[in-house]
Amino acid sequence: MVDEKQLRDAVKKTVSRDDVKYVVGYKNGTYGFQVTPAFVFSSEDADKFIFSPLCVNNLAVYPMLEEKLPLRKGEEEDTRKIGLVVKGCDSRAIVQIIQEKGLKREDVILIGIPCTGIIDPKKINAKFPHQTKTVDVKEDGEKFVIKVNGTTHKIPKEELIFEKCKHCENPNPVIYDILVGKEVKTSKKEDYKDIETLEKKPLKEKWNYWEKQFEKCIRCYACRDACPMCYCKECMVDQLSPQWIRRSVNLSENTAWNLMRAFHLAGRCIGCGECERACPMDIPLTKLNKKIEKDIKEMFDYTPGMDAEEKPLLAMFKPDDPEEFIL
Amino acid sequence: MKDFEPNIIGFLCNWCSYAGADLAGTSRIQYPPNLKAIRVMCSGRVNPIFVVNALQQGADGVLIGGCHPGDCHYERGNYLARRRFAVLKKLLEYTGIDPRRVRMTWVSAAEGKKFAEVVTEVTEDIRKLGPMQHFKRENKW
Amino acid sequence: MDRLILPKNKMSEFINGIKAKYQVFAPVENEGIILFKQIKNPSEINLKFSNSKVPPKGLLFKQTETLFKFTPGTKGKIDPADTPDEKTVIFGIRPCDAKSLAILDHIFKGDYEDPYYLTKRENTVLVGLSCTQPDVNCFCTSFDDSPASAEHVDILLTDIGDKYYIDVKSDKGKQLTKTVDKLLKPATENDGKKKKEVEKKAADIITRSTKTDGIVDKLDKIFDNPFWKNIAIKCLGCGTCTYLCPTCHCFDIQDETTMTKGARIRVWDTCMNPEYTLQASGYNPRPERMNRVRNRVYHKYNYYPKNYDIIACVGCGRCIDNCPVNIDIIDVVTAAGEVKE
Repeated sequence: MVDEKQLRDAVKKTVSRDDVKYVVGYKNGTYGFQVTPAFVFSSEDADKFIFSPLCVNNLAVYPMLEEKLPLRKGEEEDTRKIGLVVKGCDSRAIVQIIQEKGLKREDVILIGIPCTGIIDPKKINAKFPHQTKTVDVKEDGEKFVIKVNGTTHKIPKEELIFEKCKHCENPNPVIYDILVGKEVKTSKKEDYKDIETLEKKPLKEKWNYWEKQFEKCIRCYACRDACPMCYCKECMVDQLSPQWIRRSVNLSENTAWNLMRAFHLAGRCIGCGECERACPMDIPLTKLNKKIEKDIKEMFDYTPGMDAEEKPLLAMFKPDDPEEFIL
Repeated sequence: MKDFEPNIIGFLCNWCSYAGADLAGTSRIQYPPNLKAIRVMCSGRVNPIFVVNALQQGADGVLIGGCHPGDCHYERGNYLARRRFAVLKKLLEYTGIDPRRVRMTWVSAAEGKKFAEVVTEVTEDIRKLGPMQHFKRENKW
Repeated sequence: MDRLILPKNKMSEFINGIKAKYQVFAPVENEGIILFKQIKNPSEINLKFSNSKVPPKGLLFKQTETLFKFTPGTKGKIDPADTPDEKTVIFGIRPCDAKSLAILDHIFKGDYEDPYYLTKRENTVLVGLSCTQPDVNCFCTSFDDSPASAEHVDILLTDIGDKYYIDVKSDKGKQLTKTVDKLLKPATENDGKKKKEVEKKAADIITRSTKTDGIVDKLDKIFDNPFWKNIAIKCLGCGTCTYLCPTCHCFDIQDETTMTKGARIRVWDTCMNPEYTLQASGYNPRPERMNRVRNRVYHKYNYYPKNYDIIACVGCGRCIDNCPVNIDIIDVVTAAGEVKE
């Protein structure tokens, strides 16, 4: 359990600094189990910050979403820093962006939170539908304590947390400026079981599976916009000369989009799952991205988002890279 | 039954494989005409979106030709391409597209014969696989 | 008009009856989400849902619509696109989505009559289904609407236990009932009472609401208020709200070509992308997310009512359900109404 007072003090300390523009954290949402990103510009507002197992958003998207408008005459650029509340997976996104030189380490102040597992909104909404009032969720050992409609429910964590949390190897932020609470110990290991199950199927079955998924896609690009690693100034789908991926919505273009986005995240995706959460059509995007994550670990011994000094995966090479597929 | 003639797009790097293909031509070596060559300056120029786009537009297979490791005219383009296509092939296989449709080869400017052998081998492999259907553009509006 | 009864066990026959004369689109479950799809068999229909994921506007205002085809060159020509005019039924549309089609009519039947939408609209019969289990974010009652409103449908079905109460509202609806005449019986006064009970029960389930009186004038006053920056700062610009909104209608027109032929197509677009207003010079009149979020709210609650006398929001709640960062239109409109000017 995260001590919310400690969190709020850390936020107050950060936002009162002269060189900090604002701090992004979580606050209670507008209904039910919702939690929403909160921006504070002064320490008086810091008390609305919370941290609970419902805090699902990856706030690492916000530093790259800042619009840099053309400056007026005599106006100076606002180079103040941004404070961010980050869980384990979120911090890896920041490390990866720093590795790619998208951000400088000094541009962000990170308030790190050791994470003990986040609740999947789909699972909890299926269990307790139609909640209009904000619901309180607390942790009690290996169970969640949820008070709904006057009744208290104690539910084992395994039933409600994300699949990604069940195999999380990095619950503690890998970089931070302030750590709220003590680091958690974990023995969880990523085993890629669901990837392996799909890998073992024959080619035809694999295509049938993915064809059904890509047919659902409505090309809203929510996956791209929710992803902290998708921050290209001009996305490949918006290019018109030449136009690689047409705007029409059919199996061919949808497949091209999903394959190419997965490829562009090769060596960069840190597995936060925001893409899958944002997708309105429930396409299992993490299955695609995790496959690449597994392959690059096996082939190149590379894990994204761990070391800000490392060179990005596809920008470097080793003379003994695998080449058994080359004629 | 009409024999299926595969449509193969080849992205050949200017300094090595394209020159090698050229040599195969001047040496009058016979090889299947199914490969349509596109000259790029370096195999590192080849963006995987070219490969996916080629498959969308009706190519049954794609071949990327580069310089041998250590010989790249731009020092490291072929190494980067090698990494990229290792990842791409596995991704394509995972989504159900036969990885034997996307091939990579090192052919130097002196290896005209090797180029012809590679094209023959790739053409025969793709002939056995049949036409690429999966996510071809229908172009029916 | 007419008030009839259809016993529930005759539903399959009803569908088969109308399928003989019309092509039927109905809610179908596809991998866990409900979508409106064309059905071949009444057993495909799933009526246990509060609302479909993607609104049925996509059946009339298609996501990818061919405007015309062409062949290039000096001997090239332009072929108009086929305007399919098969008689269609959208079965199971909710009153809010039906209202959204009435809202979209203003756009597509305005200064320029859009043949692609209008041909389909004229040939489509709306068979509505009253809501019995509104979802947590439904708020049609905030617009003085009801989950069992028959105002914008041709026929409304209400589940009153072992039968459906049928309200026939229009000539199109009457034509449709003629094809399944023998399955329908006139409704009794008791049936009418039961329908009113179901309607009240559904309206009582809806608890979330916002004040829409005076919102047009209030928004006029707070256009430059910093309130909008606070709302928009957490927006990701993902566009999910626009793709799932039953009244959103922005589109892009593109040419798709091969070397020998091509077509001009119209596709859905979203005003939440910066590229939507990006001009060729590089200037963008809506450069920040603040501009775009504010524009979306104003379009629905200020510009549209000023032009067409109706708020372009039906209270379906899809944008609230699916926004990844919980930007809640109910919350936004309520807060806008209370902003100190």
